[in-house]
Amino acid sequence: MKLKATIEHKPNIPTASMADIAFLLIIFFMLTITFEVDKTQVTLPKTTLRYEIPKQSAYVSIDPDGRIRVSDGTEQSALVSAADEVLSMAAGVIAMDPTKVFVVKAHGDAEWLRVDEVIDALKRAKVRDVYLLSDQRTVDDL
Amino acid sequence: MKLDRDRPDDEIPTSSMADIAFLLIVFFMVTTTFTATRGLDFALPEDDDDPPVVEKEESVLVEIMPNGELIVDQDPMQLQEIIPYLKPKLERNPKKPVIIRPDIATPYRYMVQVYDELRQWEDYGLEQPINISVPTQREIQSFWY
Repeated sequence: MKLKATIEHKPNIPTASMADIAFLLIIFFMLTITFEVDKTQVTLPKTTLRYEIPKQSAYVSIDPDGRIRVSDGTEQSALVSAADEVLSMAAGVIAMDPTKVFVVKAHGDAEWLRVDEVIDALKRAKVRDVYLLSDQRTVDDL
Repeated sequence: MKLDRDRPDDEIPTSSMADIAFLLIVFFMVTTTFTATRGLDFALPEDDDDPPVVEKEESVLVEIMPNGELIVDQDPMQLQEIIPYLKPKLERNPKKPVIIRPDIATPYRYMVQVYDELRQWEDYGLEQPINISVPTQREIQSFWY
């Protein structure tokens, strides 16, 4: 009996759509990427209410040891020695853009005195909109 | 006579496109950080040199101790008890100021907890937002004493 010759298939992985997937991922990352202006590592307080913070906001961060860093929202944050420097920075930013939003990024264990000095400096600099950066509070935190 | 011409290849070379694409993906994956971009809004009042005088008797004072203990109008209170305590007072006078006054040594998170709780006035059936005030130490020293 004559057997039908078997057709040999070359094994291959279909890669035609690989470039599409790759570019889809690139577009996703390009749209979602935000360059952090403040990289201070803090444990944020948790709140139930949380609102989206406008992009390009100025940052004032306070670490657990009370060190203060400031950023105008465009440049990387820099360490300042006293709350008075927050006042001069904030006054300069507000002079350029009176509607600028400031974000207070303070560690949950930071002493209120330090946060109070920063808030007072922002008040004196005529800042109007401030956000207290927080993490989401969940039922487990209650 | 048939001429054998070397025709230039009219294809765009795409063999390295996937390499470039994956290089970009790796770059974005390494540099992307997922950060908290949400928080509690905390509108600051005008820094007025001559603010309206608020009598202590007219307001409700919420003091926060360094250990997180709350003293509301001189009485110790739990966080969830504050708005039920305020509710009858605010129904009589919706503009009644509620002053949050943390001790200078109080951890910041306790102040945020209280502020967050007072901002949830709707959950307790109140019709208007609570008039919350957080005076700074400078304001307390300048205007209260």
